[in-house]
Amino acid sequence: MPQQPPSAVAEDLAQIRRLRLASFVEATTLLVLVFVAVPLKHLFDYPLAVRLMGPVHGAAFIAYGWCLITTVSGGGWSRGEIARLGFAAFLPFGGFLNAGLLRRKRAALAEARA
Amino acid sequence: MPYLWLKAVHVAAVLLFIGGLFAQTFALAAAEATAPLARWDRLATVPAMLLVWVTGATIAVEAGWFASPWLWAKLAFVLALTGLHGIQSGKLRRLRRAGGEPSAATPALRVAAFIATAVASIAVLVVAKPF
Repeated sequence: MPQQPPSAVAEDLAQIRRLRLASFVEATTLLVLVFVAVPLKHLFDYPLAVRLMGPVHGAAFIAYGWCLITTVSGGGWSRGEIARLGFAAFLPFGGFLNAGLLRRKRAALAEARA
Repeated sequence: MPYLWLKAVHVAAVLLFIGGLFAQTFALAAAEATAPLARWDRLATVPAMLLVWVTGATIAVEAGWFASPWLWAKLAFVLALTGLHGIQSGKLRRLRRAGGEPSAATPALRVAAFIATAVASIAVLVVAKPF
């Protein structure tokens, strides 16, 4: 890996941090929607939770998608990693599984800076 | 020309003109470094983009427009522009790295033509609501 200026590496680290946050929020809102709001609607006839959580998760999904595109367009990501991060958005708990990959990426970047 | 169509063309023209002025300003600065553009992106462009999504979705929900085909056509353009912003942000970050080179030459004129077409289409769809 070519030597990079500290500011550029810091920028990449910050971008991965943003992706981790977006991934966590997306995964959490999906879980609340699927395992709390939807059962409340169908089992307890309480549709308000879906009406609230639907748009919240939609916004979180779009934010994650944009964050993912911004991160991988900076380069240094394999097709497999990009596909994995993309698929994770559609699976319950998928976003939480990104944590390990993103932690490894951050560690590799930090090591390159040292 | 009917008023609604005239207004749609006007709003599209204003957006393109202002966008062109910003692009000129930053292209001049970028000849030396892309740092000012990155700062502007973080302080103004990204918050504006989030505001566009939040206010747009709120208006559409309150007006009950999610059942209208024109809104979905508009959303497709907004989604494409949001994705384009993400791609270009990443490419700019890559450019700021030492030794980093863009993976391929950017077809700037084609990208600009796409942005212009999308913005004009969005303005027409949202103002005239043709279908």
